Amino acid sequence: MHSIFVSDLHLCPTRPAINRIFFDFLRGPAARAEALYILGDLFETWAGDDDDDPFNASVLAALRELAGRGVALYLMHGNRDFLIGSRFSAACGAQLLPDPTRIDLYGTPTLLMHGDTLCSDDVRYQDFRVKVRAPEWQQQFLSQPLASRKQIIAGLRTENAAEKQLKSEAIMDVTVATVEARLRDHGYPRLIHGHTHRPALHEHNVDGKRCERWVLADWYTSGSYLHCDAQGCRVVRL
Amino acid sequence: MVKLHTTHGTITLELDAAKAPVTVENFLNYVRNGHFDNTIFHRVIDGFMIQGGGFEPGMKQKTTGAQIKNEADNRLPNDIYTIAMARTSDPHSATAQFFINVGKNDFLNYTASSPQGWGYCVFGKVTAGTEVVDKIRGVKTGTRAGHQDVPVEDVVIQKAEVV
Repeated sequence: MHSIFVSDLHLCPTRPAINRIFFDFLRGPAARAEALYILGDLFETWAGDDDDDPFNASVLAALRELAGRGVALYLMHGNRDFLIGSRFSAACGAQLLPDPTRIDLYGTPTLLMHGDTLCSDDVRYQDFRVKVRAPEWQQQFLSQPLASRKQIIAGLRTENAAEKQLKSEAIMDVTVATVEARLRDHGYPRLIHGHTHRPALHEHNVDGKRCERWVLADWYTSGSYLHCDAQGCRVVRL
Repeated sequence: MVKLHTTHGTITLELDAAKAPVTVENFLNYVRNGHFDNTIFHRVIDGFMIQGGGFEPGMKQKTTGAQIKNEADNRLPNDIYTIAMARTSDPHSATAQFFINVGKNDFLNYTASSPQGWGYCVFGKVTAGTEVVDKIRGVKTGTRAGHQDVPVEDVVIQKAEVV
């Protein structure tokens, strides 16, 4: 009995090699797990569930097939694909999880997050996040024609890329105090997240309790996943 | 002027009847008939807004009066510490729920008389007690009764009065 965690796949039509790895992964390791958790940024961009782009449809079909095999499928919003809604998740046969979500992972309470809220020193991003996660903003955005939304997203990404070059390395990782606060709030001892694209296992001592923080790897150049069972977690590279 | 006496202090509001006559009259009616007494700020998002006027402690939704027209074309901006009417995606669906902006929320402003452009009607501002608003915006929140961003400990409007 085991569950699999991935995040930050950033799937898009322009990386066919990675897409092939992803589809093989869904038919292989994912099909053998009892649950697959995708903790955000499954897609490079997401303009709305009404986007009829055939690439999105192909990913949907593959996820649906996995769910059809009886694998429990869970999605979480990332900072890129936070507009994924109930229409897409229902069509995949997936459950959309709030961020954060606490689960009982084979006896160990485990907190699942995308990870962007842990970068609390990045004040500009956090302000942006508050704005775009508000239902009012999303309603107003999603009511615009799809073509306009795609244009806005493309514009935002250009701005963002330029800005990222200016941000210091230090604020682009998680803030340790925030990690510890979340672990404390949610009862310790394990946290799994993505977003920073700095895969590692970190140990934190919070209130005398030994906690572990697993950071998932992105799929920009290769695929990997976190395999968790009653014995613990380990990284598997594809 | 309206005073909201809350568990976290008193918030004084100055309402702009000239720019939002229907909205202000509607709001004052709710104040006068005690609708807001013993209601909570049920949706608090720091940096965005604090929302109330619709639920009693325990997330019990109150019945409200008729919907009012949206007067956001008064062009009053959703600046920090202004008060505005909450609504559904129907531009003219506001009844009793309101929110106090705790950020400069330009994206809530009126841009056009279209479903996506109507925005949210500002009808007044906080003239005293911004420190109370700041206390409320910082409270710990969680999910309750299917609603997100609900204060873990109730933030209650004990009494609302016209002064």
